[in-house]
Amino acid sequence: MIEKRDVIKQYNLPSEVGFCVRCTMSNQRPRITFDEEGVCSACRFADYKREVIDWTAREKELKDLCDRHRKDNGEYDVIVPCSGGKDGGFVAHQLKYHYGMNPLTVTWAPLKATEIGRRNLDNFIRLGGFDNVLGTPNGTVTRRLTQLATRHLGDPFQPFIYGQTNYPMHQAVQNDVQLIMYGENGEVEYGGDMKNANSPTRAIQDHDKHYFSGLPPEFWSEHGLSAADLHPFTAPSYDRIMSNRTEIHFMGYYKNWDPQENFYYCRDNYGFEPNTERSEGTYSKYASIDDKIDGYHYYLGYIKFGIGRTTSDTAHEIRDQKITREEGIALVRRYDGEFPQKYYHEFLEYCDISDEEFREIVDSWRSDHLWKQTGNGWELKKPVWHEAEG
Amino acid sequence: MTRVRIIPRLDIKGPNLIKGIHLEGLRVIGDPQVFSSRYYEGGADELLYVDVVASLYGRNSLHETIRQVADNVFVPMTVAGGIRSVDDVRQILRSGADKVAVNTAAVQRPELLREIAETFGSQCMVLSVEAKQVASGRWEAYTDNGRERSGREVVEWVKQATSLGIGEVLLTSVDREGTRKGFDIELVQAVETATNVPVIASGGMGTIEHLEEVVRVGKADAIAMADILHYDRMSLPDVRLAATAAGMDIRRA
Repeated sequence: MIEKRDVIKQYNLPSEVGFCVRCTMSNQRPRITFDEEGVCSACRFADYKREVIDWTAREKELKDLCDRHRKDNGEYDVIVPCSGGKDGGFVAHQLKYHYGMNPLTVTWAPLKATEIGRRNLDNFIRLGGFDNVLGTPNGTVTRRLTQLATRHLGDPFQPFIYGQTNYPMHQAVQNDVQLIMYGENGEVEYGGDMKNANSPTRAIQDHDKHYFSGLPPEFWSEHGLSAADLHPFTAPSYDRIMSNRTEIHFMGYYKNWDPQENFYYCRDNYGFEPNTERSEGTYSKYASIDDKIDGYHYYLGYIKFGIGRTTSDTAHEIRDQKITREEGIALVRRYDGEFPQKYYHEFLEYCDISDEEFREIVDSWRSDHLWKQTGNGWELKKPVWHEAEG
Repeated sequence: MTRVRIIPRLDIKGPNLIKGIHLEGLRVIGDPQVFSSRYYEGGADELLYVDVVASLYGRNSLHETIRQVADNVFVPMTVAGGIRSVDDVRQILRSGADKVAVNTAAVQRPELLREIAETFGSQCMVLSVEAKQVASGRWEAYTDNGRERSGREVVEWVKQATSLGIGEVLLTSVDREGTRKGFDIELVQAVETATNVPVIASGGMGTIEHLEEVVRVGKADAIAMADILHYDRMSLPDVRLAATAAGMDIRRA
């Protein structure tokens, strides 16, 4: 048996589960806050986007930012991290074709790419008209890291997140590009540390805390990986980042971020295709469809926090006024926590973990404040639909 | 050539007309009443209403919408979504619908098709099929607005449903829906060959050539269209004129 984790302590979670009165999100999302009316910080931010932010002024800020960075000598002037999906695709296309920038788009390879993800990236490059570099780390090391991260962090996706976060900085430094433009700031859009709600940029100092669960790539040297093994996953040295005057910005600060509209935009501009079937664990077909492993990242998030893909998807679609809370709750009840069966054997083989060990890992992350064992197996003590039923 | 019916398709969620791609990424388009009137006045042969969240909630919520539409619209109306029993059919017909289309409940219990056909007549019993290609010449029927597999092979399923007394098939290609890339002609052909009841082809209409192809090659009896009309890429009168000009037999409005 793997020893039970103290999830409450590790992620600083409230011991009593509560739900936002407007969306489907619970107070178990790390760093989210609720106000006295029971509304979560992400919903308040959605109000703020609709009612307070002066988007004309933000547009001007974006133009000024581009003017400051634009180079007219043919060199790249902005790095856009992009998988070929709808969000990075939107950012890159807008910057190139509406703001006259010369982006280098940067893709960090999925752990195990899906066919549709690869096709979308190809179409993005070919039909969208973009220069792209694909960073692919040593596959043996990546598999080993995925195994370690699954065992020690309960998150197979951590190696990907290292590269996704750090590789664009390498490209910036190497290409003498000062500006990196991401899509939305998840910490602000989806509930988290709101100190950045009015900031267009991301502090590099927050990377360890917000993206690496406090464990940067260097941590894994304790588990027998060499500095050379870990190099592609690490950030450039702090000095190099600073002397390059690297700035990380979020498009979501400058433009009203609407993932569904990004989907239509990319469909129309470079033939982005959604999946023809929904992803396991949720109802959607167009978000996060390029990696066979990410279902296990979302599934373990569901185990740790009671928040699965459907909760996250419905919460932001409610905020974006695409669906009602009633529909969101019905969708959560229907799909959240569905086990990602489709690629399960590939996943186990990839990490070289047995089915039995994986189940044990999963159970070690089930906190007593969230889960109870019933005749039907494990159930959430307090799912969002209980509240709706009064 | 037999006469071809043109049927605007209105997918509805709560109070809104919506539209997606592959039945997903559902965008709010507007007020169903406004669009219904526009299509009726534009010469629609029939109107089709699909409650896209009905299966999720386990009920059809279009009664009020249909009741209001029926005051101003005088062409046959078909309602789909969440219809699970003879009693559900009775209620929706009382609201003003002329036909019902059933998918999920029939997949779960095919006998329902016979019960409805025997109670109200085959003319009002439409089988709704959401077809997704799984191999060359092979399609699987989906439910829940294209989200769930049923395990049923489309051609076999249509044959079985025909023997249970259905009067029509509404055939939606999940692969083509919302793409404007044209109909899945092979699918329409396969289903036309498998049944003697009329087939309404739905999913993929982007140009008049697509319409022509699905009628001439696919042998579709009726065409459902949404994207092209909702986004006003072509008006319904223009669709009708262009189809007539292309030699198709379209009712004169």
